[in-house]
Amino acid sequence: MLVGVIAGAHGVRGEVRIRSFTADPADVAAYGPVSDESGARRFAVRIRSAVRGQVIARLDGVADRNAAESLKGLRLYVPRDTLPRLGKDEWYLADLIGLRAEDTAGKPLGRVKAVHNFGAGDVLEIEGAGGATQFLSFTRRAVPEVDIAGGRIVIEPPVEVEAKGEAANEADDASGRRT
Amino acid sequence: MARSVWKGPFVDGYLLKKAEKSRSSGRNEIIKIWSRRSTILPQFVGLTFGVYNGHKFLPVLVTENMVGHKFGEFAPTRVFQGHSAADKSAKRAEA
Repeated sequence: MLVGVIAGAHGVRGEVRIRSFTADPADVAAYGPVSDESGARRFAVRIRSAVRGQVIARLDGVADRNAAESLKGLRLYVPRDTLPRLGKDEWYLADLIGLRAEDTAGKPLGRVKAVHNFGAGDVLEIEGAGGATQFLSFTRRAVPEVDIAGGRIVIEPPVEVEAKGEAANEADDASGRRT
Repeated sequence: MARSVWKGPFVDGYLLKKAEKSRSSGRNEIIKIWSRRSTILPQFVGLTFGVYNGHKFLPVLVTENMVGHKFGEFAPTRVFQGHSAADKSAKRAEA
């Protein structure tokens, strides 16, 4: 699982700047040693400080600026099983994104493109075959089944009803605008 | 300046009627609304509204701690497309 990328060197003592992709930037070091994509190179990470949305860290085996600069752009991964186990009805976004969305009859409706949270609960963004997206509340009623192993979710899109006032309807007719 | 308390919260009247109708129907409904200015009332708790953000209707599942806020606060009109956090999780709500 991708947890960060090395943005560049910091100072002359071999420290690096890491752009962290974890919820708390400092957690890039919380899941044990990180490795490159192939797993051939592994580094223990010690966080020194944070600056401009990035973390300054020291990697084991990197002792000078030249070595740190040579790592620029390196993507840092941790094994999926090092992340803490989640509770019931809770999944990592990385596991949800990309799942096939099907209706209750098994008809494909698209793929999970993203999971948002705008303050009113988690919302799945489902991308259809034509590229059009629809948003769906991540509730037991709208998403009765999540099958990570099978790579799919079953969705039951809610019935859409419109609420418009009389004044809004009249304004609509006149100018195409809604309130 | 904050709204005077004696006026009470502002809400477009038709939302109340629609919410009542939706609740009594018992169906899995999303009420599409354009009224981002309306205050969320206790009567709306448990219902899902599709709040227009100028482009799409974003689902807003109303919970108790959202009462008193405006619908528009939960449907941002500008979406930041960043890298999603690797260790972030989503919890499926009961409703």
